[in-house]
Amino acid sequence: MLADLLAWLEGTRVATWTRESPSLWAYPTVLTLHTVGLAIVVGVSAVVDLRLLGVARRVPLATLMPAFRLIAWGFLLNAVTGLLLLIADATMKMRQPVLYVKLALIALGLRCTVLARKEIRYGPVAPTSTVSPRASVIAMASLLLWAAAITAGRLMAYL
Amino acid sequence: MTSCRWTALGLAAALIATVPVIAHHSSAPFYDATKKIEAQGPVTKLLLRNPHSFLYFESEVNGKKVEWQVELGPAASLTRTGWTSDTLKPGTIVRVSGQPSRAEGSFGMCCARITRPDGSPITPGGRVTEEQQPPGGGLSR
Repeated sequence: MLADLLAWLEGTRVATWTRESPSLWAYPTVLTLHTVGLAIVVGVSAVVDLRLLGVARRVPLATLMPAFRLIAWGFLLNAVTGLLLLIADATMKMRQPVLYVKLALIALGLRCTVLARKEIRYGPVAPTSTVSPRASVIAMASLLLWAAAITAGRLMAYL
Repeated sequence: MTSCRWTALGLAAALIATVPVIAHHSSAPFYDATKKIEAQGPVTKLLLRNPHSFLYFESEVNGKKVEWQVELGPAASLTRTGWTSDTLKPGTIVRVSGQPSRAEGSFGMCCARITRPDGSPITPGGRVTEEQQPPGGGLSR
């Protein structure tokens, strides 16, 4: 039943194209975009997290609000490209426990991003204001979770 | 707050230090580069796909017929060296030498040199060199 579903996913036209097309616009481009999306999501998140942890304290917290829109676009890019990479090899990848570890870490990382946004949106406005200990914990957790999510993603090639 | 800043910088440094370890997809975890094996036999199938292609062929090992799995580069690269999915039709005899799989009891090879039985290249004008088809070429397996 599950095996049938995975085989069907892998047999769809778009999955077959990703996996079997010799074009540089197929797999290589999808994988490259997945890496670019990763850089946007984790890179911009790290900027927010580091600011919450006290780096570049003169940057007013409120000015970071547009960062969350960037993170959302990066995440959308990676959800789409990630889905393509996943169904291209569904029978193998959907059986890898580390995939579910990676997805759980991404969910927790996103939760931190949402919490950080709340902290910034309703937090202090003054440019040099310090942030709450709660915000520091969120920021630290976010950095660690995204690093762990990247590691889990890389391990999919090995485990 | 200063201690927080140093913690953050330390963490960032730790993250950066981790990157070289995980950035490259090496064949070393799966194949033993210090060993070399060779086998010859008829092709059973050629799967030209991304991120890695696979060639399967049969040969006899210790009097028993086994199917070898040879890990090749991505379809996107192989087609640029003139390969197509029809390059090696089932039944074509190939000679393959490469690094053996580390998995006990398996018959896998990577980084293989694939030729006709007489040592001539597979594709007209093709290169016949060591590590003709490196296993890497993709970020992900």
